[in-house]
Amino acid sequence: MMSYRAFQTGWGGLVALFLLFLPMIVPEMKIHLATEILIFALFGISFNLLLGYTGLLPFGYAALFGVGAYAAALMFNHLPGTPLVVTLLIAALAGLLTAIFIGSFCVRLRGTYFALLTLAFQMFLYTVAMKWRDVTNGDDGMGVIRPEIDLPGFGNLSLMNINNLYYVTLLIVVLGILAAYLFLKTPLGNAVICMRENDERASFLGYNVFLTKLTVFSFAGFLAGAAGGLFVLFQEFVSTTTIDVHMSFTIVLMVIIGGKDRFLGPVIGATFFLLFQDWISDVTVYWWLFMGLFFIVVVLYLEGGLISLLNLDRVWLWVNRQEK
Amino acid sequence: MTVSIYVIQAMHGLVYGMLLFLVASGLTLVFGMMGVLNLAHAAFYMLGAYFAYTVTVHLGNFWLSLIVAPLMVGVLGVLIERFLLRKAHKGGHVAELLLTFGVFYVLTECVRLIWGSNPLPVPVPPILTGDIPFMGMTYPIYRLFILLFSAIILTGMALLLMRTRIGILVRAAVSDGEMVDALGTNVPVLFMGVFGGGAALAALAGVIAAPFLSVFPGMGLDALLDCFVVIVIGGFGSLFGAFIAALMIGELQSFGILWIPRLAMVFQFLLMVIVLIVRPTGLLGEKE
Repeated sequence: MMSYRAFQTGWGGLVALFLLFLPMIVPEMKIHLATEILIFALFGISFNLLLGYTGLLPFGYAALFGVGAYAAALMFNHLPGTPLVVTLLIAALAGLLTAIFIGSFCVRLRGTYFALLTLAFQMFLYTVAMKWRDVTNGDDGMGVIRPEIDLPGFGNLSLMNINNLYYVTLLIVVLGILAAYLFLKTPLGNAVICMRENDERASFLGYNVFLTKLTVFSFAGFLAGAAGGLFVLFQEFVSTTTIDVHMSFTIVLMVIIGGKDRFLGPVIGATFFLLFQDWISDVTVYWWLFMGLFFIVVVLYLEGGLISLLNLDRVWLWVNRQEK
Repeated sequence: MTVSIYVIQAMHGLVYGMLLFLVASGLTLVFGMMGVLNLAHAAFYMLGAYFAYTVTVHLGNFWLSLIVAPLMVGVLGVLIERFLLRKAHKGGHVAELLLTFGVFYVLTECVRLIWGSNPLPVPVPPILTGDIPFMGMTYPIYRLFILLFSAIILTGMALLLMRTRIGILVRAAVSDGEMVDALGTNVPVLFMGVFGGGAALAALAGVIAAPFLSVFPGMGLDALLDCFVVIVIGGFGSLFGAFIAALMIGELQSFGILWIPRLAMVFQFLLMVIVLIVRPTGLLGEKE
């Protein structure tokens, strides 16, 4: 009988191999898609730290993504020589600072109040991005040139090559997701889950609910900012679409459809959403309608999202039964 | 001369504020009663405007749309409450919020599918076209009509809530739904009615806004954002608070555009943030 641990490791290894050799299997167009999926997977995971683990629904989550995106774009344009890592770190820090600012107002609130106050801040930042033309160029947006990276052993790699961009994105996204995973394993991560269940009791146990939630919010903002920076790198362009209501709504749809109760739910959500979008936008321009209907069905009948259909435990039991 | 500019601008603000309150009142009533912030409300408002367009253009009668649109949207609201929202109720407020969000998206896309993405003009009915002289300047009659009409609707609503048995039940259910249920009122039916009524009110606001703002698929989202600011400032669930806040936002936008056009949109968010820092529950809201 195969141990569950070995089974899980096996699956993980298969997925890792698949991701590593993807550029050799599929055409270039699909690598584009895969890169986008990776970015939204990271964005979704950071969103779900709040929705799934802290029990907060940030409706205006694009604020953090957008600020990261603009920070990265400004770095690329005004300080072109900066190493990519530094630029992305600054994008992430911009997300973090924005999260601290927004969070200090919002995390005291719960449920609908929290959801809509974050939306208000996002709309505010959207207006700023729209009107502050000297810096952001308004809704015309700004073009960005992907930098070269100097990798020891490989020499200068141009990110104009989509495969190189894919690997860089893969590395950063995996690191980000790993950081989120490890964060949840810390005592702080446990305290957060405790607050999702009952924050009054958590505060009686001596936890500082406000500070803890603010920390999670900021950490999520850090990851969302990094995702925003990667998105600019990927699009070679930044505009108000990175910080508008649709971006906020998109991430809500992705995470709910993927499943908020499991750690990798948002990854499934981003994958499904973007693959579906890629396929159906050839068929009809009204694809948001189908996505909306699908979303309603998931909210009403499939609370765990798509990932709840993908039950590895059941596969494992089935495999074991075959061996007997 | 300058005084009359300010008066005119104040009138513009008042008209927009009243319109805003007409939309926000249904939203805040449903929120106070069911604890659901109904994001689909904005889509009901938009549907009202689109029905006004279809009725006015194809049947040539704007007045008819004042009856047709609220009726149809009201029925739609009742159906959505009965068959979708009630199912989401067990999932808690977040599930309900997500559901109304999904409905908002689907309705917006349906509007795009049926009427297209381009803005559609709705002609002002002939009796109400033109301007009247006003303090040495002129003022569009249709705006005065909006003012008058919303005032009538709001008075009617206030009378309904304060003076009738249904109104008493609704107010009682807002303050303690379980107790009203225990005393023998069918609260789910009451909820369904209020939800439908709120939808009809939003549609009515959409109809009278249609000739004034023209009709386009983004109007729902615009209204949602403004209404949301209104009910946050006024205090969730408080009708009178929403009234004050709607007039404040109306005037703020009107004078903001006059003085600092580039930042007009920023003002209302600043006002909201200030209110939330000073009084986190809004001007007249009770504690969550």
